[in-house]
Amino acid sequence: MVSFKSKKISNLFKGKSGKNDVEASKSKKRSIDDIEQENDDLDEMELKGMIDVADSEEEEVVNSEGDDEEVVDEFKDIDEAEEQSVQESGTDVSSIAEEDEIKTGDEQESESDVSSLDSSNMYTPATSIDENKDKVEPGVTKTSYSDGSLRLIKPEVDPVYESDDSDFFQPKNTIGNIPIEVYDEMPHIGYDINGKRIMRPVKGKGGQSAIDKLLESIDLPAGWTGLVDKDTGGSLNLSTEELELIKKVEMAAKGEVMDEGENEYPDYVDWFSRHQEVMPLQAVPEPKRRFVPSKHEAVRVMKIVRAIREGRITTGKKVREELESGKKNYDLWGDNIDEGIDHIMQLRAPKLPPPTNEESYNPPEEYLIPDENKEEQEEFKATHGFLPTKFAALRKVPGYANTVREKFERSLDLYLAPRVRKNKIQIDPESLIPELPSPQDLRPFPIMTSNIFKGHSDKVRCLDIDPTGEWLATGSDDGTVRVWEILTGREVYKVQLFDRSDEDYDDSKIEAVAWNPDDSTGILAIALGEQLLLIVPPVFGFEKENNGKLKIENGFGFSTFGNKTQSSGVAGVDSDNEDANDQAATGKKKAPVASWNKPTVAQQEKDIQISINCHKQDSIKKIDWHKKGDYLVTVQPNSGSTAILIHQLSKHMTQSPFGKSKGIIMDCKFHPFKPQIAIATQRVIRVYDLQEQALIKKLLTGAKWLSAIQFHPRGGDHIIATSFDKKLLWHDLDLGNLPYKTLRYHTKAIRQAGFHRSLPLFATCGDDGMIHIFHNNLYMNDLLKNVLIVPLKKLKGHKVTHNVGVLDLCWHPKQPWLFSCGADGTARLWTA
Amino acid sequence: MGKIQKKHTKGNAKNFITRTQAIRKLQVSLQDFRKLCIFKGIYPREPRNKKKANKGSTAPVTFYYYKDIQYLQHEPLLNKFREHKTFMKKLTKYLNKGQVHQANKLNENKEVGFAGNWNLDHIVKERYPSFNEALRDLDDCLNMLFLFANLPTTDNKINNKVIKEASRLTEEWLTYVTEKRLIKKVFVSIKGVYYSCTIKGEEIRWTIPYKFPENMPTDIDFKIMLTFLEFYSTLLHFVLYKLYSDSGYVYPPTIKSYQIVAKNEDEENSKKINISKEELDAGKKVQGHVLDKELAQKALEADAEEFDQDVVEEDESLDHFEDENKNKGDELIQPSKYESPQATLFENFTFYIGREVSKDIIQFLILGCGGKAICEADYDMSEAKPDMSNVTHHICDRPVLRQRLANVVYIQPQWVFDSINKGSLEPANLYLPGEKLPPHLSPWGDAIGYDPNAQHASDDEVSASEEENEDVAEDDVEDVDEDVVAQKELEQEAQGVYKDTTNADEDKKHKKKAKSAEEEERDMKMVMMSNKQKKLYNKMQYSNKQKEDEIKKLKKRKQQLEGKRK
Repeated sequence: MVSFKSKKISNLFKGKSGKNDVEASKSKKRSIDDIEQENDDLDEMELKGMIDVADSEEEEVVNSEGDDEEVVDEFKDIDEAEEQSVQESGTDVSSIAEEDEIKTGDEQESESDVSSLDSSNMYTPATSIDENKDKVEPGVTKTSYSDGSLRLIKPEVDPVYESDDSDFFQPKNTIGNIPIEVYDEMPHIGYDINGKRIMRPVKGKGGQSAIDKLLESIDLPAGWTGLVDKDTGGSLNLSTEELELIKKVEMAAKGEVMDEGENEYPDYVDWFSRHQEVMPLQAVPEPKRRFVPSKHEAVRVMKIVRAIREGRITTGKKVREELESGKKNYDLWGDNIDEGIDHIMQLRAPKLPPPTNEESYNPPEEYLIPDENKEEQEEFKATHGFLPTKFAALRKVPGYANTVREKFERSLDLYLAPRVRKNKIQIDPESLIPELPSPQDLRPFPIMTSNIFKGHSDKVRCLDIDPTGEWLATGSDDGTVRVWEILTGREVYKVQLFDRSDEDYDDSKIEAVAWNPDDSTGILAIALGEQLLLIVPPVFGFEKENNGKLKIENGFGFSTFGNKTQSSGVAGVDSDNEDANDQAATGKKKAPVASWNKPTVAQQEKDIQISINCHKQDSIKKIDWHKKGDYLVTVQPNSGSTAILIHQLSKHMTQSPFGKSKGIIMDCKFHPFKPQIAIATQRVIRVYDLQEQALIKKLLTGAKWLSAIQFHPRGGDHIIATSFDKKLLWHDLDLGNLPYKTLRYHTKAIRQAGFHRSLPLFATCGDDGMIHIFHNNLYMNDLLKNVLIVPLKKLKGHKVTHNVGVLDLCWHPKQPWLFSCGADGTARLWTA
Repeated sequence: MGKIQKKHTKGNAKNFITRTQAIRKLQVSLQDFRKLCIFKGIYPREPRNKKKANKGSTAPVTFYYYKDIQYLQHEPLLNKFREHKTFMKKLTKYLNKGQVHQANKLNENKEVGFAGNWNLDHIVKERYPSFNEALRDLDDCLNMLFLFANLPTTDNKINNKVIKEASRLTEEWLTYVTEKRLIKKVFVSIKGVYYSCTIKGEEIRWTIPYKFPENMPTDIDFKIMLTFLEFYSTLLHFVLYKLYSDSGYVYPPTIKSYQIVAKNEDEENSKKINISKEELDAGKKVQGHVLDKELAQKALEADAEEFDQDVVEEDESLDHFEDENKNKGDELIQPSKYESPQATLFENFTFYIGREVSKDIIQFLILGCGGKAICEADYDMSEAKPDMSNVTHHICDRPVLRQRLANVVYIQPQWVFDSINKGSLEPANLYLPGEKLPPHLSPWGDAIGYDPNAQHASDDEVSASEEENEDVAEDDVEDVDEDVVAQKELEQEAQGVYKDTTNADEDKKHKKKAKSAEEEERDMKMVMMSNKQKKLYNKMQYSNKQKEDEIKKLKKRKQQLEGKRK
């Protein structure tokens, strides 16, 4: 039904251009006929059947839809009229058919509908056309088309209409589906069926007549669509009937009952109002379930109740009650008794220290800090957080201001302070002091000054005691070497070696003096700048002096007897490199390292027996005699490979045993009884074997700058070294190359150390003006025991001048006496 | 060749973890971590080699022991913290939307042990596996609780409930101490009153601040203290439970504040008032008390009967140990009910405490030492008059007393403190009202070992030392010639001439010489000490000297004061 209706509507709209236009329907019929003819499929019988069907349909339509009656009637009328016309003039139709070759799209679309409506008329015209093809009817003018074919122009048909619609007959535009815009430029809008122009309705400038415009501006006309009528060029408006029809169709589409008399908008009746009605609206009785409790709900409630009872559901209130009622009341430590032992890594927080008397509200008065001591008060407050205060009575005690802060700080300490296990040393500090034999038991050792050798006008740089133990030689910066009789302190001999007031004075100093250990000679070696002078002071008597002089002079004889032993760089004991050997092998003549010169007259006046000139621009700092008195070693620290020179007295020969410098040489000593030599550079001591020409030991002292070294005269395996950085280092050659003991007791640089030749004593002196005496026991009989060193005495006497204290010391060969000399220009004898 | 060891995979680098790393590992906020550390007693460590522990960096950081953090990872509280976080999110959401009802509902329906009410029982057990360990750490716990008990409840900073809880627990603690008469030492300092008692061999010392409004610093993070408090209150709760139940009392006790009713002049009741305001609801006294719930009462009674019997038996079972030897030797020490002499110090006394005396200190001490106390302040609001017939001592803290009773000893409160510290009664005439009090000394003595009571000996020492100082000064002048003099003397000695040493000055000089010789010998010996030993020795000497100087200063000051007085 719905589809059907829509088709009707489409028909309606198609017909709107000319509702009652018979021409249109005619043309439709024509077109259909053409198709029929072309296809030639249908036979009459079928067509008739179709007509029947169509008729019945038509009737149905009429029956079912009263609204359409008029329209259908119209079509009927048209049909009838056509029949009549066909009957009257069948040629008309055919001519039309011929003329109307072009079919509009609209017509084709509506073909089926139209066919169903008009099929009853199909038969006759078709035949008539065929029959009357060549006939020329009267009133028809013959012309030819452009292609020369015949063209008949028929006279205007004057249909005789009974209907009212004929009043508004208007020519039908035949432009088909050509868009109307094509004619915009034209004065006409198309052509009617006869090919005459349909003129455009009169319009104003804006495309509309002024009156129309005015009317439109006032009010839209009824049925206004805003479209342009294709046929007329005017506006296309719907008639009231059409509007009505559309409305009804829409309602039908919505499924509403299209009752003619029904009110679409009836008044609202407020049935369920606040007013109490007399009669009930519904008369259904209330069901039973409304009056019976719900079993389902009961089940659900019970479920919750059970859960609450069993404690599966707890409410906040209950929790609070439980907490308040003290569900926590049980013995936490009830189950086990064992003592927990803290893990080693677990450290308990220390307790707060107990309060002390200072904190008392009524402390003893001495705890109160008087107001004068503001600084002390502040200090106390900073460390303790309060000031000791005394209150006469308990009632006067105020509240403490820092309670909260102190507790807060304690809690911070508890959780924020790192904890460390610290082992507190619970020992008596005195127990740290080593157990040593008392110095009283280790006597004799020098304890006091018994003689002061005064006379030098400048610092006494060096001193030595003669092997007989009677004569003390001192060398001083005033240019003199003096010999003293030790028992009386009398100066027995003095020689001025240089004079600082001289013009040619070259800043050389007397750096060292050393007696020849052979007590039958009385030779004194003096280091003066780069010269080594040998003197025999005239204090011993002729025999001894002569002996000494002879010993010196014998060497000249040796050299004159043709022995080519001029002092030269003879290959020495340097095992570290063989440069020296190489040099020797090449036989390259080197300048002699030293020359032994006979004394000049001036020197002879000064009792100088020989002067050995070491050809280096560096002064001799240290001299050491070999114990037999034939060899003498000198040290010139900065002379590179020739820093150490060994001079042989008997042959007047000088050797430089080392081919390559080991650095700045600070000291050099012969071993007391082995053919060995120890050489101290600034940090290291090297011990060489002179026979094997090999390095025996390298001792790492750990000091920054050594000053002197000393072999132990009896146990030759021990070396002590002193350093300018205040250390005394005891090296045991059997115990590896690190010091056995490092002692620091001088407050300033240590200058010299010395062992007593026979007694177990040694001493050190330094720039702090002190001399320290030590006892040392080597336990020569018991090899398992370590060396015992006992500090015995601090000797104080020398004055420190210009930051220089005691410069040199030496022991008496037999007695426990010590000689020292210092920057105060004196030498002292220290006796027990 | 061994496998090449990767750096920082062993030793210090492995054993220690920085705080940031720890927080990341635990996936908690810093605040929660702090809380956790406080609860669990985790503290930072100082690794032996910080650079190694910090994997080569020397930046200053806090280290924790790695195993501690691992141990924290398994803590059930950690999950609670997370739950709490989400809970708070919900709550704030509601509150920000203004849905107060929903927020209330959420808050009310939270689970047990949730959001603020952490269950810390297991932590207490973990930290203190044995009861003695818990007692050992009770000092800080009590200090904190007593501090909070003294804070104002009206302050918005701290929850009212927390303060009430603290005051309840502290009251229970004090009740226990008084009931068991455990007080051994007391020290009234300017910071507060220190008390000390010994329980199961552990000395517990706590401070109670004076009852004044506390000065609340603004720059203090109370969250930290409250976290501590949370743990401490749990700890003290369990300790108290154990102590109470071990002594046969029911925990929690109902501590009642008796109101004085003028009409009721029942003798027993009035006596009770006299004895104490805080009465313990112990098993022995159950009959007199009415509990809220019948069931609870029944249970209590059942317990009480048992305890009652036990206690009675115990009381009777104190045996007398007899000396069976015929030759009487030392007296056998008889077992007593109380451990210390302080417990029965005021056994036979009744004290009348004046209004001006701070009641909570004095009453607690008197009750804790077996005495009876009547407080004047208790009678202020009632028409009843205190029964003065039994009163033996009147503690007053005012200079002048108008009315004096015969047979009553008038004393200042310090008499009580000093008597307790001494363990016996001090002579009361030193403590008469208005008199200048003798100094109140700490029972723990002095930090540097100075004894203020030692009188004459110290005087001598001081004078001697002073003289010495003078001598030294003289010596300095003479120093130059010293050697010469000594040498001369020696020479003379060598000649056989001996000087008479009858002169006192000479004697002194000789003494000093001997001393200096000794010193010299020590100095010489010190030469042979290794550097390490020398440093240690000097350090020790330094600290000893500091102490000695301090003592000397005090002695000097005392002497000066005495001199002024004379």
